[in-house]
Amino acid sequence: MPSNASSPSFISQLCFGNIEEDLILPYPKMKAAEQETFKAVRSSIEQLLKPHDKDFRAWDEKGELPAEFVEELRQFGLFSLVIPEAHGGMGLSATAYSRTLQEIAKYDGSVAVTVGAHSSIGMRGLLLFGTDEQKARYMPKLATGELIAAFCLTEPGAGSDAASIKTTAVKDGDDWVLNGNKLWITNGGIAQFFTVFAKTGGQADRGNMTAFIVMRDMPGVSIGPHEDKMGIRASSTTTVHFDNVRVPAANVIGEVGKGFKVAMKILNSGRTGLGGGVVGGMKKLISLATVQAKERVQFGKPIAEFGLVKQKIGQMVVDCYAAESAVNLVNELIDSGSQEYAVEAAIAKVFGSEAMWRTADEALQIAAGNGFMKEFPYERIVRDARINRIYEGTNEILRLFIALTAMNEVGGQLKELSESLKGIFNNPIKGFGVLSEYARRRASMATSSVKREKTRFTKLDPALEKNQLVFEELTRELAGAVDRVLRKHGKNIIGKQFASKRLADIMIDMFVLAATMSRVSTSLQEKGATAVTKELEILEVLTGQVKDRARANMAKIDDNDDELVKSLADHALDRESFSWDNVE
Amino acid sequence: MPIKILVTAKRVEDYESKIKVNAQGNGIVLEGLKYKINPFDEIGVEEALRLVAKHGGGEVVVASVGTKDVHEQLRHALAMGATRAIWVNHAGPLDQMTVAGCLQKLIEKEKPDLAILGKQAIDDDQNQVGQYLAEWLGWSQATFASKEESLESEAEKSKTPALQLSADAKTLTVIREVDGGLETLECSMPCVVTTDLRLNQPRYASLPGIMKAKSKPIEEHTPATLGVDATPKITVTKMEHPPARKAGIKVPDVATLMDKLKNEAKVI
Ligand SMILES: Cc1cc2nc3c(=O)[nH]c(=O)nc-3n(C[C@H](O)[C@H](O)[C@H](O)COP(=O)(O)OP(=O)(O)OC[C@H]3O[C@@H](n4cnc5c(N)ncnc54)[C@H](O)[C@@H]3O)c2cc1C
Ligand SMILES: Cc1cc2nc3c(=O)[nH]c(=O)nc-3n(C[C@H](O)[C@H](O)[C@H](O)COP(=O)(O)OP(=O)(O)OC[C@H]3O[C@@H](n4cnc5c(N)ncnc54)[C@H](O)[C@@H]3O)c2cc1C
Repeated sequence: MPSNASSPSFISQLCFGNIEEDLILPYPKMKAAEQETFKAVRSSIEQLLKPHDKDFRAWDEKGELPAEFVEELRQFGLFSLVIPEAHGGMGLSATAYSRTLQEIAKYDGSVAVTVGAHSSIGMRGLLLFGTDEQKARYMPKLATGELIAAFCLTEPGAGSDAASIKTTAVKDGDDWVLNGNKLWITNGGIAQFFTVFAKTGGQADRGNMTAFIVMRDMPGVSIGPHEDKMGIRASSTTTVHFDNVRVPAANVIGEVGKGFKVAMKILNSGRTGLGGGVVGGMKKLISLATVQAKERVQFGKPIAEFGLVKQKIGQMVVDCYAAESAVNLVNELIDSGSQEYAVEAAIAKVFGSEAMWRTADEALQIAAGNGFMKEFPYERIVRDARINRIYEGTNEILRLFIALTAMNEVGGQLKELSESLKGIFNNPIKGFGVLSEYARRRASMATSSVKREKTRFTKLDPALEKNQLVFEELTRELAGAVDRVLRKHGKNIIGKQFASKRLADIMIDMFVLAATMSRVSTSLQEKGATAVTKELEILEVLTGQVKDRARANMAKIDDNDDELVKSLADHALDRESFSWDNVE
Repeated sequence: MPIKILVTAKRVEDYESKIKVNAQGNGIVLEGLKYKINPFDEIGVEEALRLVAKHGGGEVVVASVGTKDVHEQLRHALAMGATRAIWVNHAGPLDQMTVAGCLQKLIEKEKPDLAILGKQAIDDDQNQVGQYLAEWLGWSQATFASKEESLESEAEKSKTPALQLSADAKTLTVIREVDGGLETLECSMPCVVTTDLRLNQPRYASLPGIMKAKSKPIEEHTPATLGVDATPKITVTKMEHPPARKAGIKVPDVATLMDKLKNEAKVI
C-alpha cells in the first residue's frame, strides 16, 4: 500500500468512477517486530483482565471503576499505548493500538472506553499538534497514567454542532482566562489533563476556537458527579466547569483560532480506536453465542443445528470480518502517513458501530430469555454497544460528512464549495447551501469532462473475478448517482439529507467490500486457495449483500417516498403525538 | 549474596485452545492454535525473580528449545523481569532427553546456583526433564515445589515461601507437595527444583516490562553447537481423543442420589 501524504481518498476517487487500487492493495499486515510486541501485550492483558471477569458486572451495576483498579491499569501501563517510546510510552502504530483495544474490549466496554478516551482523544491533540516542549512536559506523566487525559468539546448547547460552543477564552496578559461548562466528558472524574476547546473570537465568530491544555489542579476547574448511564456505566462521565481558569499561553495546542480543525483531526485520527473496540466486542460475542447455541437444547437438539440460529451466527462472522478489514485498512492509511483518510475513518466507525449493534442484538436473541438476564453478559454488552453510534460523531452526522466530503472532491474545482464543506460540522446548513451553486455549474458541464482512468481492478487475485465485476459495475453506478444527485437537487439540497444518506450508505458498503476483497485477495496470494475457502465464502456473502443494498439505495435516489415520510414527520411534530386510535 | 538461577520457558498450546488430533493420528492440528509459556515454567520464573530479589540481586537466565517462535515465550519471561535469554534453535520433533541434554550443556556453561523448571509441560504432561537434568548433572533435586493454598491470599503471602535459600547460599529448603500433604526438604546447592501449581501466583508482564524486554539479549545455540544429539529416542505413534462424556442427569433429591450411587453406579 504505497500511500503517502499526497495520496487521494479512495472513496472520493470512487465518486469519480476511479478505483485507486494501490490505496487498498495489498492488504496490510502488522509489522513483524510490532507483532511480537503485540502478542506480549495481548497475553499480559489477558492476565490483567481475566481475573476481573466477575468484577466487571459488579462495577457496571455500581457505575464506577474502583480506584484500586484504575491504579492497576496505571501500573500495568495501559495509558502509555500511543505515547512515543522517547517519552516513556509503547509508541504503538494505529494498527497495533486499534488491535490492542480489541483485546481490552473483549473483556469490558467500560475499561476499553477509559483507556480509549485517554489515548484516542484525550491526549491526541498533544500527540498530533503539541510542541516539543509541551510533549516533554506532559507525555512521560501521561504514559505512566500519573496524568489521565480527557477531551472536552461537548457542551449543553453544543453536541453535533460543535462550532456552537459557548466556553470562552479571553487573553489577559500572558494567560488565557477560561469560562464555561462542558458536558459528558469521558474520564472527567479521573483525569488531570484536559484538552479543552474554547471560543477565542467573539460570540458571533462561530468557527473561531482554540484548544488548550488545562490541568485539574488549576484554580477554577471543577468536576461534576458521575453520570448515571445506560451503558459503559463504569467509565467515568462527568461535567467539567471552568470558572475564571487562568491558563498560560504555553498551553495552547496548535494555532490560536484553529481549534476546530484540531478537534476534527483528533476525532478522525482516534476513530479507529473505537473501531478496534467494536471488532473486539464482536469477536467476544461470536465466542459467547456459539458456545451458547451448542449448549442450549430445544426440540431435542442443540439450537445451533437450526437454520435460523445459523443464519445469525453466519451474519456475525461476515460482519466481523468486514468491519475488521475496513478498520485495518484505515489504520494502515494512518500509519503510512496519508492525510486523506477522514471519510474512510468515518466509514469504518459507522459500519463497525452498527455491525457491533446487530451482533450484540442477535447474540442476545440466541440466548433469548437467558440473554435478557443480568447473570449473562449479553444485556450489558448490548447496553455498552449503544454508545458507539452516538459519540465521536453521531452516525447521522458522519453519514452526511461521508457523502458530502466525498462529493466535494468531485466538485473540487469550485473553491468556495470545498471551503465551506471543510466546515461541514462547523455549519452544515451553509455547507449544503453552496452545493446548489456547484449543482448549477456542474449541470452545464459536459459529463464527459469527468476524468475516468482507473475503472478496473488489475491486482486482485483472479479467483475474485465475480466480486470484482460487481464492484466495478457498482463504481460506475455510484459515479453516475453522485452526478445525478448533484444535478437534481440544486439549491434544495438542504432538505435532501435522505439523498446524502443513500449515497453515504452506498459508499460505506463499497469501502467495506473493497477492504474485504483486498484482505481475501491478499490472503489467497499468501496462503493459497485451500487455506482461504471460508474467507472466500465470507466475501461471497458480503458481495451479495452489498450489491442488493447498493442497488436498492440507487433505485431510491430517483424514486422514493421521501416527501411523504417527511410530511408524516411534520404531522407528528406539529401535534407532538401519534394521531390515530380505535377509540373515538 | 547475589545468585544466578536458570529457568525454562517452553512454548505450549494455550489450555483454552480447542485441541484436535490430526488426520494421521500422531499429532494435533496446529492451525488456529494460540500459544503460551508453559504455566509451570511461568511459576518457575516468578519464583526465581522472588528469590533473586530477596537475596540482594543476581541473575535470572531463561532458556527455551524450539523454532524462532519460542522467542515469544522468552520475551514473556524477560518482560516479567528475567535478565537475559538463551534460545536453542531446533525445528522438528524433540523428546525429553534432548531437552534435558541441551539444558545440561547450558548449565555447564552458565554455572547457575540453581535451576527451576516446571514439573511438566501442559502439552505432553511428561514430567521428566527436571529429573533427567538433576541426574545427569549429579545435582540434588526437589520436585513439585508447592504451597498450601492454591492462590496467594494475604495470609499465604505472609507465610514462609516454599523455596528458602540459606544466607550462605549453600542449602535450599523446599516445601513440596506429596499425596495429601506437604513435605520439607533441605537440598545442598546447586540443585534442580521443579514447580507445582500452588507455588505462587505469577506476576503479569507490565507494558513497561515488555518494552524493556525488547532490548534484553537472546543468545542463540543449536543442539549441535552444544554437542547434543537431537535424534529423538522416543516417537509419538498414536494420539486419540478421550471418549466423549455422556450427558449427566439431574436427580430430584439426596435420597435418589444415594440410591443411584449405591445401586446403579455401585460406588458406595
Ligand atoms: C457516554 C458519553 C460519553 C461522551 N464522551 C465525550 C467526551 O469525552 N468528550 C466530548 O467532548 N463529548 C463527549 N460526549 C458527547 C458526544 O460526543 C455527543 O453526545 C455527540 O456528539 C452528539 O451530541 P448530542 O448528544 O448533543 O446530540 P445532538 O447533536 O443534539 O443530536 C441529536 C440528534 O440529532 C441528530 N442531528 C444533529 N444535527 C443534525 C444535522 N445537522 N442533520 C441531521 N441530524 C442531526 C443527531 O444525529 C442525533 O441523532 C459523550 C457522550 C456520551 C453519551
Ligand atoms: C422477562 C421475561 C418474562 C417471561 N415471562 C414468562 C411468563 O410469564 N411465563 C412463561 O411461561 N414464560 C415466560 N418467559 C419465558 C419466555 O417465554 C421464553 O424466554 C421464550 O419462550 C424463549 O425461550 P428461551 O428463552 O428458553 O429460548 P430458547 O427456546 O432456548 O431459544 C433460544 C434461541 O433459539 C431459537 N430457537 C429455538 N428453537 C428453534 C427452532 N426450532 N428453530 C429455530 N430457532 C430456534 C430461539 O428463537 C432463540 O433465538 C419470560 C421470559 C423473560 C425473559
